[in-house]
Amino acid sequence: MLLTRRNLMQTALTLGAMHAFPGLTWAQARPLVFATFTGSWEEAHKAVLVPAFRKATGNADMVLDPMLSVDQIAKVTAAKNNPPIDVMLHDPGPALQAVAQGLVEPYPVEKSAYYKDLIPAAQEPSGPAPFFQVVGLTYNPETVKTPPTSWADLWKPEFKGRVGITNLNSTLGTGFMVELAKMHGGSESNIDPAFKAIEALRPSLAAVAANPGQLATLFQQGQIDISPGNFNAIQILKARGVPVEWVAPKEGAIAFKTTIHIVKNSPNRELAFKLIEAALSPEVQATLMEEPYLIVPTNTKVAMKGEIAKALAKDHAEIAKKFVFQDWAKINEQRAAWIERFNREIRV
Amino acid sequence: MAATLRNVTTYDLRLAAPLALGFVVFFITPLVILLALSFQADPQGTHYGLTQYVNFLGDRFSLGVLGSTLWLGVKVTLLTLLLGYPVAWLHQRAPSWAKGIIMLLVLLPLLTSVVVRTFAWVVILGRQGIVNAALASLGLIDTPLKLLYTDTGVVMALAQVQMPLMVLPLITALGRIDPNLADASSVLGAGHWRTFRKVTLPLSLPGIIAGCLLTYAAAITAFITQSLIGGGQMLFMPMYIYQQASTLQNWPFAAAISIVFLVAVLVVVSIFNVLGRLSRGYTNA
Repeated sequence: MLLTRRNLMQTALTLGAMHAFPGLTWAQARPLVFATFTGSWEEAHKAVLVPAFRKATGNADMVLDPMLSVDQIAKVTAAKNNPPIDVMLHDPGPALQAVAQGLVEPYPVEKSAYYKDLIPAAQEPSGPAPFFQVVGLTYNPETVKTPPTSWADLWKPEFKGRVGITNLNSTLGTGFMVELAKMHGGSESNIDPAFKAIEALRPSLAAVAANPGQLATLFQQGQIDISPGNFNAIQILKARGVPVEWVAPKEGAIAFKTTIHIVKNSPNRELAFKLIEAALSPEVQATLMEEPYLIVPTNTKVAMKGEIAKALAKDHAEIAKKFVFQDWAKINEQRAAWIERFNREIRV
Repeated sequence: MAATLRNVTTYDLRLAAPLALGFVVFFITPLVILLALSFQADPQGTHYGLTQYVNFLGDRFSLGVLGSTLWLGVKVTLLTLLLGYPVAWLHQRAPSWAKGIIMLLVLLPLLTSVVVRTFAWVVILGRQGIVNAALASLGLIDTPLKLLYTDTGVVMALAQVQMPLMVLPLITALGRIDPNLADASSVLGAGHWRTFRKVTLPLSLPGIIAGCLLTYAAAITAFITQSLIGGGQMLFMPMYIYQQASTLQNWPFAAAISIVFLVAVLVVVSIFNVLGRLSRGYTNA
């Protein structure tokens, strides 16, 4: 009994103290939480972005909490008034959803030192894009002797039974379909031609992967020789000694903006802004461009160097020319229907 | 309180209270939320109705996914039973030193994660995998067989991954059979096959049913193995739910699919339970 009374007293005192000094409560006192993506993203951010942020803020407390876009949205939606995350990272599709659901604070553009230096495509007032993902053609140089140059090469008879694609669950799969539609006279709102093209590709398909990560496994196992692929994912495979190469097709590589957002009602708004500023800064972007990260910079003050300059683009003018950005607002409108149709129609 | 006689049986219930509380908070509550969610007519939840269920049950494609998932479970369960029964039987007949080894071999897969076991199957079934390499070097095939991303591959991998769930109940059931019964049967003139059919098999029925139940439930919900070995277009219920909930953010439909799946599985489970009760009657007779 004595124990219970003591506990009760402690609880009452704590609660009282929390009321008297609101700074004590967890919501206000917690460190900045940045929900980055898992895997190589987390590694890159831990190694480069976090130290830069600490330096800029005099060692402010921050935590990386890597999770998928979907989980970020779910967690913030579940506690809109006191979100457990301060900064979110999103692919174009989920980014639009987060903005549409009112989970995102507009970026204080006028306060930002770097926003105006970003390439125009990266200047998003709802949350700028510090990074890009680039999708081109991945192939196995041991079996594919002449490097492919166009998306159309996937339909070549010599790749019969050797082509891999992913389904539309991923940004990569959906982006690839939109590109196919555009090649055959369609657009973000007219996907029909892409489905016809995939139908024609069917004899060539060795596998339809459930996610882009599976494509990597399929290359490793020799299950496929050629597929649409993410530039950064291929660099990781290459570093592990898997025979893969990446080329940008002549139609242009598909580029996805990865945008970074301040969460609405975040208790750490100021720190969140500083983290995003660090992510946009030329210093951080220049470091992330180097091996082993090879992340494409969006700040025009960063000069392209190394593997990125060789495989992707020499400068930002070339990015604008060689990269294709898609209209994800339009894509999102019909994506559910496309996924449904892909489920039904594409059977190998 | 002290004056009255204490009822000792109440303690049992109170001991279960922490688990019961956990069960209510972490299982019943989410399930109720899931059920409520499934009645939303649209993701925003503006109005409620049976729209999601009508969409699912009125759609041949969706029903096909449900059917193929349940059928997958049947195939996997039959295969594990076929492969697992001899192992359990061998365990029963083996000398005690070999029993330990067999048990270790059965349990070993449980000590590694499902992801690792499944990736091993990716390596085994791949174009340059062990199966294809062996067949090619024997001169049996010219071009590699397609095993990964096929139905056969999924069934094979799932059967191995879920094998301990079948073998362990079988070992228990076979261990409970009095060995004298088999001897008695042969003394009375029955051959090995007849003894097995008339004595061992019926007496091991409870183990068979328990094993089948566990394997079946595990096989149809095995998201990781299904998607890693089956690939992106062999759509089974777990992946279908994931796709709707995660990629499309269509939570009401995902919830409705989950409820339909749950009900379908419950039906199968109750069939197993009825069989189990029947078999208990049989073995006690």
